[in-house]
Amino acid sequence: MITLSIDTKTIQVAPDTNVLKAALDNGIHIPHLCYHPELSISGGCRLCLVEVEGQDQPVLSCGLTAAEGMVIQTQSDQLKELRRGVLDLFISDHPLDCVVCDKAGSCTLQEYAYEYGLKDTSYEPTVSSTLFQDDNPFFLRDHQYCILCGRCVRVCDEIVGVHAIDFANRGFETNIATPYDGPMIDSTCVFCGNCVQVCPTAALMPVSRLQRGREWDLDRTLSVCGYCGVGCQIEYATKDDAIIYAQAPEHGAANGSFLCTKGRYGWDFATSPERLKQPMLRRDVAHELGLTEEPWALPETSPLDIRKPNVEQYFVPVDWDTALEFVSSRLSDITESHGPDSIMGLASARCTNEDNYLFQKFMRAVIGTNNIDHCARL
Amino acid sequence: MSREKLDQIAEKEQARQSQFDKRIHCCISTACLSAGAGRTIQTLRDSMEAAPIGDEVEVVQTGCMGLCSRGPLVRVQEKSGEEVYYADVDSECAEELVAKTVSWDHAKAKQQEISPELQTVRDRLETARKKRSLKKHILSPDLPFFTKQFKVVLRDVGYVDPEKLEDYLAHGGYESLHKVLAEMSPEQVCDEILQSGLRGRGGAGFPTGLKWGFVRREESDVKYVVVNGDEGDPGAYMDRTVMEDNPHQVLEGMMIAAYAVGASHGYFYIRAEYPIAVDRIRGAIRAARRHGILGKSVLGTDFSYNADVRIGAGAFVCGEETALIHSIEGKRGVPRMRPPYPSTSGLWGKPTVINNVETLASVPAIIKNGADWYAQIGTEKSKGTKVFALAGQLTNTGLIEVPMGITLKEIVFEIGGDVPGDAEFKAAQTGGPSGGCIPNTHMDTPVDYESLQELGSIMGSGGLVIIDSTTSMPEFARFFMDFCVDESCGKCVPCRVGTVQIRTLLDKIIEGRGEPEDLDKLDALCKLVRSTSLCGLGQSAPNPVLSTLRFFRQEYEALIPTNA
Repeated sequence: MITLSIDTKTIQVAPDTNVLKAALDNGIHIPHLCYHPELSISGGCRLCLVEVEGQDQPVLSCGLTAAEGMVIQTQSDQLKELRRGVLDLFISDHPLDCVVCDKAGSCTLQEYAYEYGLKDTSYEPTVSSTLFQDDNPFFLRDHQYCILCGRCVRVCDEIVGVHAIDFANRGFETNIATPYDGPMIDSTCVFCGNCVQVCPTAALMPVSRLQRGREWDLDRTLSVCGYCGVGCQIEYATKDDAIIYAQAPEHGAANGSFLCTKGRYGWDFATSPERLKQPMLRRDVAHELGLTEEPWALPETSPLDIRKPNVEQYFVPVDWDTALEFVSSRLSDITESHGPDSIMGLASARCTNEDNYLFQKFMRAVIGTNNIDHCARL
Repeated sequence: MSREKLDQIAEKEQARQSQFDKRIHCCISTACLSAGAGRTIQTLRDSMEAAPIGDEVEVVQTGCMGLCSRGPLVRVQEKSGEEVYYADVDSECAEELVAKTVSWDHAKAKQQEISPELQTVRDRLETARKKRSLKKHILSPDLPFFTKQFKVVLRDVGYVDPEKLEDYLAHGGYESLHKVLAEMSPEQVCDEILQSGLRGRGGAGFPTGLKWGFVRREESDVKYVVVNGDEGDPGAYMDRTVMEDNPHQVLEGMMIAAYAVGASHGYFYIRAEYPIAVDRIRGAIRAARRHGILGKSVLGTDFSYNADVRIGAGAFVCGEETALIHSIEGKRGVPRMRPPYPSTSGLWGKPTVINNVETLASVPAIIKNGADWYAQIGTEKSKGTKVFALAGQLTNTGLIEVPMGITLKEIVFEIGGDVPGDAEFKAAQTGGPSGGCIPNTHMDTPVDYESLQELGSIMGSGGLVIIDSTTSMPEFARFFMDFCVDESCGKCVPCRVGTVQIRTLLDKIIEGRGEPEDLDKLDALCKLVRSTSLCGLGQSAPNPVLSTLRFFRQEYEALIPTNA
């Protein structure tokens, strides 16, 4: 371990840790826009400057590897002035329409401008790009808010491995673009939306949240994504019991700070009227069991052939005990009359490893068959 | 190929050259070519063919002779070593020159029949013999332009045929490479360069021997040497000239560096705007491979080395070493933070030496003459010589090489021959868009890294632009700020947005809309950009504004309406 001092606080970190991470992990706040703990270092935002004892000039803490005995100052008049100057340049190239911005309240640039008391830019406001791209159903790209921190480019390249976007053009004209600036849908983008999540400003916004409430209006519920067995942690932002958007919480055990396209955008089933919320038994079976009074015969048309089958027409809701009782009695009957190998179990990729383990155990030890397979193998 | 065989080639070439009584050197470097040297050398060759006598005179294509403003330049070299320079040599002058150089001794006349076309040329030569206009083309060798210079890097530039390996060998080429391979350990080479005091000629002035030592001590299966030929300062063409006019000298320096650090492969990174340099470096690599100088077992030793050319795509910032590495790797040419320095993690993550063309071109001479010889030239901290591209409002503009420590006064008023016309000297700008303007009052400043920095300028790669009294300094500063706005890569905000805001303020002041507090605002913004930018481009971009604000503040003040 390496021992260093940041703002007179003695801190121990693992070797090769950068000073910014060391400070943030220990509750010391240093402003930063391009740094993200899970991405490579860029050094473009120039905000995380610190003073190092023995060095004349302030240095960027994100690019500074902690060394034994290092003495760091993160707050001083000089540093404040430099950071304020850099932020002043940032907001000279950024619309200051926070009062109507959906990102207000979770915008890092807004937070720093507030912290450093910048009510307006002291320069001539000059927005470099006014490009507005609304070319996919998931997120918007509004370049006037883009501060070119490059987090989206790095997350796409380093975490997702898709590299659908990169910097295009140079200097003040630089913008983030797909190859040849074609529509997002024609690029290699998989619409995982991790770029949207790491964006510190309103340059990338989920379509679902536009004008549906400001950050401070939203409730947050931590959950686990049900789409597959990975078990990604997911945070639903809701308002009046409606989901506004979903994102990964910080430091999810299985997913870090990232999600895939299903988890992030595929949550409309949650409030769908077609969603099944309890077990159901077919009407004829229910009648046989005495659960319904009306007799019912299976129609000749299969429900699978009907585009939108009316579930209620075929099934009746029952409680879990009834449903499980029915299943277990049928399994026992069939095993007795036709032998255990007449039964096959098909497990699901959406279950966890543990669920699947238990299921095969159930098939082998309880039913007594090796007829067990998995949907991902088909 | 062994040393002996190379010596044989050199001797054969020397013998061939010595059979001529006179040699006519014609510059075919870019500046002279654009002044019409292509026609000049064609006329020289045609006239020699048509002349009744011709065997005793050889026409040689060479590189830059320095006085580019007077091109095309031609030099007649006698067997005795005596030389006469001719300036502004057009076709007509070239014919007269040939007519007056050949002996017209009919006893030795060529016997063969000549074609009617050549007969026409011969007739013209006969007429040209009687003309008397050649005299006004003669440049005196006593001109301070020539006498004040001290040539190390450019010693053979202008004498050697850049497209002929034999000529380079005849001038002692590759002797230094052989010397290090045969007699010196890599450590000794690094020490020798360190002793010589050679510092990076790209502008930053880092001791070259130290840099090589860092890379030599790195443990790695592969190491690289990269020649930085991405010269981009407006008006500067030192590196282009050396690459175009003596490509083997750069290659030799590069190979010595490779041996010293243990590199097995290297790249010439040359900007696409230098097509002739690219061609000649490629030609030199091919010729060196053919002769066993490059490739496996260099000069019959265990040392193996290969070099390739990579062409830039037009970004000024790719002269910055980390951006250059990205460019060679096929990535977007943007700088990254250092450390790690390229000496530990450079090209493809391997230890890499990146040296400027001029730095490497100085190396063969240092090895040949010894570190002590080189260290006695120049000042205490800045050793050796520096090549400058002298441009702007001067009588003599061109390429010069001077010992470090020479004063700006000597360069401008003696070598440069003062400002022409009625205008007066106002300022000298060194270091291109990263440098500053030095006013008349500081012309006694010696040219060395530290002195120029104290004046808010930099040595830079060697651009030296002279500004006369007709130029407005705020507008001059805006020109360079325009350049920096265009060339900013866009990665860090102080450079990307700050340069645009500096230009906006300059526009406001120049257009007469300035307010009294704008000058302080401009000064503060420049200092912010300087201290917070990521790479050298941004850190030095405000220099032209800061230095003109320092020395010519009254010009800015005069632009601000008094009632504002």
